[in-house]
Amino acid sequence: MALSKDIYAALEDVVGAEYICDDPVIMPSYHATEFAAIVLPENTAQVQAIVKLCNKHRLQIRPVCTGWTGKFPKGVLYLDLRRMNRIVEINEKNMYAVVEPYVITAQLQAELMKRGLHLNVKGAGSNCSAMLRGHGHLDQTTSGDDRNHLAIEWVTPAGDIVRSGSLGSADEWFCGDGPGPSLRSILTSAVPPGVTPGVFTKAAMKIYHWPGPTRFPIEGTSPNYYLSEIPPNFMARYFSFPSVEKMWQAELKIGESEIAFELMGFNVAMVAANITTSNEEEEKTFKRLSKEVQGPGFFIILAGNSAADFEYKKRVLHHIVNEAGGESLASLEDPRTEGVLLCQCIRISASIRETFRPGGAFSSIPVMGQRDLTIKWAIGAGKAKEPLIEKGLIVDDGGAFFGWGVEQGHLGKTEIFCKFDPQNPVAKKAVEDWHGEQSARAFKERYFALLAGQNEEIGRGLSNYHLWWNKIQKELDPNRVSPEGGTLV
Amino acid sequence: MGLEQYKGDMEMCCRCSACKFVPMQRVAGFKFANVCPSISRYNFHSYSGGGRLNIGSAMLKNGFNYTPRLLDIVYNCQMCGACGVSCNYAMDMEVMEPLYEFRIKCVEDGKTHPALDKVITGLRKHGSMVPAKGKRGDWATGLDLKDATREKVDVLYHVGCLTSYDRNLQKLAKATAKILQKAGVDFGIAGDAETSSGGRAYQMGYKEDSLNQARKNMALIRQAGVKTVVTASAEAYHAFKVLYDKFNLKGSLKVLHISEYIDQLFKDGKLKPRKKVDLTVTYHDPCHLGRLGEPWIHWQGKKIPGDRFVFDPPKVYRRGTQGVYEAPRNVLKSIAGIRLTEMTRIREYAWCCGAGGGVSESNPEFAQWTARERIAEAESTGADAMVTACPWCEKTFSEAIEATGSHLKVYDIVELVEQAIE
Repeated sequence: MALSKDIYAALEDVVGAEYICDDPVIMPSYHATEFAAIVLPENTAQVQAIVKLCNKHRLQIRPVCTGWTGKFPKGVLYLDLRRMNRIVEINEKNMYAVVEPYVITAQLQAELMKRGLHLNVKGAGSNCSAMLRGHGHLDQTTSGDDRNHLAIEWVTPAGDIVRSGSLGSADEWFCGDGPGPSLRSILTSAVPPGVTPGVFTKAAMKIYHWPGPTRFPIEGTSPNYYLSEIPPNFMARYFSFPSVEKMWQAELKIGESEIAFELMGFNVAMVAANITTSNEEEEKTFKRLSKEVQGPGFFIILAGNSAADFEYKKRVLHHIVNEAGGESLASLEDPRTEGVLLCQCIRISASIRETFRPGGAFSSIPVMGQRDLTIKWAIGAGKAKEPLIEKGLIVDDGGAFFGWGVEQGHLGKTEIFCKFDPQNPVAKKAVEDWHGEQSARAFKERYFALLAGQNEEIGRGLSNYHLWWNKIQKELDPNRVSPEGGTLV
Repeated sequence: MGLEQYKGDMEMCCRCSACKFVPMQRVAGFKFANVCPSISRYNFHSYSGGGRLNIGSAMLKNGFNYTPRLLDIVYNCQMCGACGVSCNYAMDMEVMEPLYEFRIKCVEDGKTHPALDKVITGLRKHGSMVPAKGKRGDWATGLDLKDATREKVDVLYHVGCLTSYDRNLQKLAKATAKILQKAGVDFGIAGDAETSSGGRAYQMGYKEDSLNQARKNMALIRQAGVKTVVTASAEAYHAFKVLYDKFNLKGSLKVLHISEYIDQLFKDGKLKPRKKVDLTVTYHDPCHLGRLGEPWIHWQGKKIPGDRFVFDPPKVYRRGTQGVYEAPRNVLKSIAGIRLTEMTRIREYAWCCGAGGGVSESNPEFAQWTARERIAEAESTGADAMVTACPWCEKTFSEAIEATGSHLKVYDIVELVEQAIE
């Protein structure tokens, strides 16, 4: 799918010879697609020039940050945003940070912690772009999804530069909705296609108060990092409950009382993944922890703003947990393990150990909505995993799901994984079937699940939004240079 | 088996980009978060550890297509191992071993780099990885050192090619000999008969040349009755300790880096750093002493069929955990007057000096670019000097400092010990 010499030369004029490549040998390092070329723009002006060239030559384009996942049509121009890696501004007074796409969350978070601030770390991990839309461990207190995007600089699929919200009217980043054009529903589309056409070149992200240290006191050598001490007024615990209902009731009350810095409804398989440094150790730990818990549970981090605040939060927590019959998982109270979990969940957002390490791949169904209802759906999806576990096609996690409260629990997210070996075609097919069946069930039972490629079906269920979306898309992208596809991380 | 034996490992790469950065918990800010010089300089994902594995995996399936770009990717890598450490924080998979095998395959297929071919031609002729000007043992003239080729010695001081031949670095050999003499160690050198450890040749992909060197060195060691090899070259240390063991050539030979040896001599009271050295320093961990210097782990087994990438018997990965990090720091802390201030990227996630993998020969500009990045990091600590424990690091940093006009001085650890024991 090589570019013509003229188009290649035109792109080369924009980015320079060093930053474009169409040699097929490099393509597998990106994704299993024959890209027309890879280009590495340095700034918004170059992005705009590239998009305009794509319009001129009817060439499809797909921008990517760190590029963990993504689906790409053959022949698309891959816009690798790696060179756009500046923190433009950290505005401590107005609590936002403006970043370019290739600033990773770990970088921004480290800078923020020095200033007594932090941000929502997406579930994909702190190795991914700080400007990602998505959910993560800190949703309880930082919210998630599009709520953390303020003003955005956007190169539309037609090659126009649009500055949303206050950026458009006052050259200020503090608000995404006004004064000025609010394009929230277009820019942060949470329903399929789930990807904004065009390219985000800068985004202001909401930032939050951080009551912890300017940096964690990490000791040890990789992968055995630990904290020399638990930071003052911090505590991490895992509580298990006699039933799902009891667990959810406790989760809800914790949200109402606003005491949790993080509340993550981990299953013990995920806890085991996070505190271990190899697959073998993880399997053993999972079996051990499974015997120690009384039922489903959650992981919680308390972070006090003062010693008094911390004591108050602990008292409230113990009251709520006791009332629901919860029990702390004693082996995780060991300060060394507690410290590992604190870092894994705040700095790293867990992620790789609990998803890719076992078999190399995982399949996920995330469902947004009220937690007690979505948990019911997830129990069914977990039961549907059991035959796959018995056949050895997916990793044994006890058929568990996980989830967490968003915005102190008035919203919630429930999710379920299948971890498997993608080189095993039987396992791959079984997981795909499971994913399709359980996603369809979520949709039929009126839960909000992502269903890639089923826009029409979803659209009919959502006031025919897909028809409106197609009309908007046609206006924004008259030459259809921005292909639809799955969520990009 | 070559690259094929790592097919499963390469397929495990989930393209998470962790290999580009220091381990996430160690990211201390916007600056100095990168860990891989190659992706940092060349930007295309193909130049990252993961990108290389993705390409290797694809080529095993679809055949090897040696375009100029592929060879550019292959040879513009210092083989520093940082990608592997960051990956192996979370993942169970080999990273460095397939990268070595990829290079070896390139060499076997005749897809070499002309500058590296030239180096290897010199190795085959003179047993040296640097131009052999004069005699290898000239630096020892007048020092009255034992000749290990003529008399039995317990300890062999292996000097290394660069230190032996580079007039600016011969001071390191003299300092090391002086330290060992002062401590009363019964040691010898091989002098003109010394030959390259073969470690650097292995990094470049010339496996057979490397193994030839290993066999020559081990023959000399057996003949001299040597029980311990001491070296101040991190690359030689890695070769004797790790590579020779990997290929079952090391036997019971004990291998120590000079910093480990001095640390022990200090602890045993056999060497006393009495003189104050008034200097604020920052320590640079050489890749082949630090993360790559951990022992080789012998393992043979099979993947257990099923959902997980696990083996019978369980595979223990070399994740950089057991590298040599404390000994050089202990030595520096033992010298009165020295104030050690650490850089952001240290120990297992240290940034490379730029010289590894033959890059200083195949792409000197890239080696210098990498060194300058490290110089900037060292300067940010406020130190007067950078201390390292490998002649290749000292050479590369010295050149970068000269080019940039940095105020920093560069010392090998033996130079400071020499000052302290005078």
